[in-house]
Amino acid sequence: MLNYILSRIASAIVVIFGVVFIVFMLIHMVPGDPVEVMLGESATMVDREALRHSLGLDQPLWQQFFYFLQGLVQLDLGHSLHSKQAISELISSRIGPTVELALASLLVAFIIAFPLGILAALKKDQLGDAAAMSFSLLGVSIPNFLMGPLLILLFSVLLGWFPVSGKSGLNSLVLPALTLGTALAAVLSRMIRASLLEILNEDYIRTAKAKGLSSARIIGLHALRNALLPVITLIGLQIGALLAGAVITEIVFSWPGLGQLTIESIQKRDYPVVQACILLISTTYVVVNTLTDIAYGLLDPRIRLG
Amino acid sequence: MSKREGRIVTKRILISTFSLLFFLCLISCSDDNNSGDNKKENIQNSVDNPIRFGLSSAPVTLDPLHATDATSSRINRLLYQRLVEFGPDNKPIPGIAVWKQLDNDHYRFFLIKEAQSSQSPITAPHFHHGKKLTAHDVKATYDAILDKTTASPHRNALKHIERIEVIDEQTIDFYLTRPDPLFPSFLAIGIMPEDLIKSGHPFHQKPVGSGQFKFSHWPFDGQLFLRRQSDQQLFEFLKVKSPTVRVLKLLRSELDLIQNNLPPEHITFLKNETRIDFLMQLGANYSYLGFNLQDEDTGKLKLRKAIAYGLDRNKIIQYALGNAAQKANGFFPSRHWAGAQLADYDYDQIRAVALMSELGYSETNRLQLTYKTSSDPFRIRIATIIQSQLKDIFIDMDIRSYDWGTFYGDIKNGKFQLYSLTWVGIKTPDVFKNVFHSESLPPSGANRGRLKNQSIDQMIETAEKEMDLSKQAKLYQRLQEELHQILPYVSLWYEDNIAFFRENIKGYQVSQDGNYDGLTTVSRHLN
Repeated sequence: MLNYILSRIASAIVVIFGVVFIVFMLIHMVPGDPVEVMLGESATMVDREALRHSLGLDQPLWQQFFYFLQGLVQLDLGHSLHSKQAISELISSRIGPTVELALASLLVAFIIAFPLGILAALKKDQLGDAAAMSFSLLGVSIPNFLMGPLLILLFSVLLGWFPVSGKSGLNSLVLPALTLGTALAAVLSRMIRASLLEILNEDYIRTAKAKGLSSARIIGLHALRNALLPVITLIGLQIGALLAGAVITEIVFSWPGLGQLTIESIQKRDYPVVQACILLISTTYVVVNTLTDIAYGLLDPRIRLG
Repeated sequence: MSKREGRIVTKRILISTFSLLFFLCLISCSDDNNSGDNKKENIQNSVDNPIRFGLSSAPVTLDPLHATDATSSRINRLLYQRLVEFGPDNKPIPGIAVWKQLDNDHYRFFLIKEAQSSQSPITAPHFHHGKKLTAHDVKATYDAILDKTTASPHRNALKHIERIEVIDEQTIDFYLTRPDPLFPSFLAIGIMPEDLIKSGHPFHQKPVGSGQFKFSHWPFDGQLFLRRQSDQQLFEFLKVKSPTVRVLKLLRSELDLIQNNLPPEHITFLKNETRIDFLMQLGANYSYLGFNLQDEDTGKLKLRKAIAYGLDRNKIIQYALGNAAQKANGFFPSRHWAGAQLADYDYDQIRAVALMSELGYSETNRLQLTYKTSSDPFRIRIATIIQSQLKDIFIDMDIRSYDWGTFYGDIKNGKFQLYSLTWVGIKTPDVFKNVFHSESLPPSGANRGRLKNQSIDQMIETAEKEMDLSKQAKLYQRLQEELHQILPYVSLWYEDNIAFFRENIKGYQVSQDGNYDGLTTVSRHLN
C-alpha cells in the first residue's frame, strides 16, 4: 500500500511540474507584453527596457522559469507586475472566498442531489423519477451566466431575501452557491440515480430485504454507501472545477475569488500571478484526485494491485 | 421495497428539502448587511455608513507615478493634489500652484498657500500624514518620475525637463531642454510627500496624498474605502464587472452611484426608473475606426472614404449607444481649445457605393476585410453593427475579437486591417505627434496605422514649435483638417458621461472626462 501511495504522490508531483512548465511557456508565448500594457504607447524604448529589466523580463525564459522555481522552493511567489502586491497576499485574500464558495456549492449540490437522485431511483419510471430528472436536465442546461441573474432577479430584486452581489456575510453566499450548486447537483443526482439503480438490483440488497431490514436502513446503510464510489470520483473532479472554473459565477456575483483573479491576470499579462494561480489550481486538482485514488486503493485492493 | 416504505422515504426527502428552504429563509433574514431598511435608516446619516460607488474595473495602483488605467487615475485625483488642473476648454489652470513663464524654457510655480485649487477651494495644504506640502515634495515627485529606475509611464511626457530647482518652500522652477508652451499641461500628476518617497513607502497600496480624500482601507482589489477629509464621510468603491448586476445593485440600494460603462438598454431602463436620478455631461473620449495604411486595401484613400460615408453613425449612436454620445469629426471636440470645426462625413450610401465601384468592387466582387476588436461584449456589438452597415457597400467584414493583451499586441505590431479603439483622457494636442508622426511608429509611439506623410510631419513639427498658444491652436486645427482629408482614422463619436444615483444622493456632478471629482460635493439625504 505504501508503494502505491508513494507512486501516486510521485506522479502527482510530475503532473504539477508539467502543468506549471507548460503554463509558464504558453503565457510567455501568447501575444501581448506586460510592459506595453503597463507603460502604454507613449513611453520611450529606454523606459520600456528599464522596466523590462527591473521586472526580470529581459532574461532568457529558462532563467525566468528557474527563478520562479527557486522562489517556489523558498515559498516566495514573487510580486504582481502591475499592483506590486505580494502574490501570496493577493492569493490569500482570494483563496478564502473561493474555498468558501466551493464548499457552500458542494453542500447545496449534496442537499439537492441526494434527495433527487434517491427519489428518482426509488420511483424509477414514475412521476417522481421524471420530475427529478427533468429538474436535473434543467440544472445542466441553464448556464451559470443565466442562472445567476435569474436567481438575483427572483431572490434579490423581487423577494429581497439576499444581496445582489458582493461578499458581505453568510447571506451573500447563498445565491452564488445555489448557482454553482444547482449545476453540480444536476450531474450528481443523475450519477446517484444510475449508481443506486445498479446497486438496488444486487443480490445482497435482496438478501437484506429478505432479512426484513427497513428501506431506510437498506438504502442508507447498504445501497447508498456502495453507490457512492463513482459519485466520490465525480466530486473529486468537481472540487477542482469549483476552485478553478467558477469565473462566470464570480463575475456575476462580484465574488472576490481566485477564478476572477486568474482571468484578470491573464488579460493583463501579469505572468507571476497567472503562474501562481495555475500552480495553486493544478495542485488542488492533483491533490484531490490523488487523495481520491488513494481512497480507492484503500477501499478496493484490486486497484492497488493494478 | 414495499409501497409504504417507499412513501416514508419520499416523505423524508420532501421534509429534508423543505427544511433546506426554511434554512435559506432563515439565512436571508439573519446577518443581513445590505438589506433591512430599518437598520439602514438608523445609520443613514452616519459618516461610517459608506456612500457606495460602483466601478466596472478596479484600480490597479494608487501610486500616481505608475497609474495609467482610467480608474486608478480617477481615484488618485481624489487622493492627491496636482500643480495644474484643466479648465472646461482643456487649457491648463492652477491646481495647487500658479505659474509664470520666465523664459521660453523656464517656468516658475508658486504653491498657493491655502491650496485653493479650482476643484476644491478648501483643500488642506497638508499631506494626510500631517506634513505640510512644500516645493520640496513637488521636486521629489517629479525627480522620482524622471528617475529611469522608477520606470514611470509619465517620464516620456516630462523628458524635456532639464532640471528642477526649489527656490523656497512655496516656489519651484522648472528648466526645460527646449521651449514648450504646453509644458504646464504635463504637470497634472499627484504630488507625493518627499519623506515617504525617500523611504520607499508603498504608495501603490497605502497612498498618502494631500487630496480631499484620505485612504482608509483596501480589503481586496475590488473593494476600496476612502474617507472624505471635509466631513469624514466614508466612501466605498466597489468593483461590479457585470453592468446588469451593477444596475440591480443600484436598484436594491446596495450601490448609491454608478457612472458610465452601461449598455444602452440599461441606460434607457434607468432613465425611466423613478427611484433613480441621472446626470449627463458631454464627453471627450474619442472613439475611432483605425486603418492599417500599409495594407494594400485599407491603404487606399478611396476605400477609407467609402467606409466613412458608408457608416451611419447617427443610427449607431441612437440604437447602440442609447443616444449617450456625440458624433465626432476629429480627435478633439470643437469646444477644446485646439479643436477644429470639421465637415461631417455624413452617411451617404450612394457616394460610398460609387467610391467602391471606382475601386472595382460590386455586389458580385466584394471586398473582404478583417476587423479586430477586444472581447468586450459592447465592442463586439458595435463591430457587428459596423459589419452589417458595410455589407451594403460591398464589404464583407470578418470580425475577430481577442483578449485585451493579444488585441493590443496585434494593433501595435501592425497585424490588422481595421480596428476600433477609444482615446481616453487626452487633453493636449501633443498627442498628434505621438499618433500621426512618422517617427512615432510603434514601439516608439502610437502611430498604429503606420501613417508616413511628410506634410503631416511638417505640420506637427511647426505647431509644436509655436510658442503662442492661440497661434498653436490654429496650426493644430489646420493639421486636423488635413488629417480629416487623408483619413488615417474615421472618427466615430465622443461617448457622453452619464451617472445614475439613488434619489437620496445629492450634489453629484459629472465631469467632461468622467473623473470622480463630483464625490467631493456629494451627500446622502434622508428621504
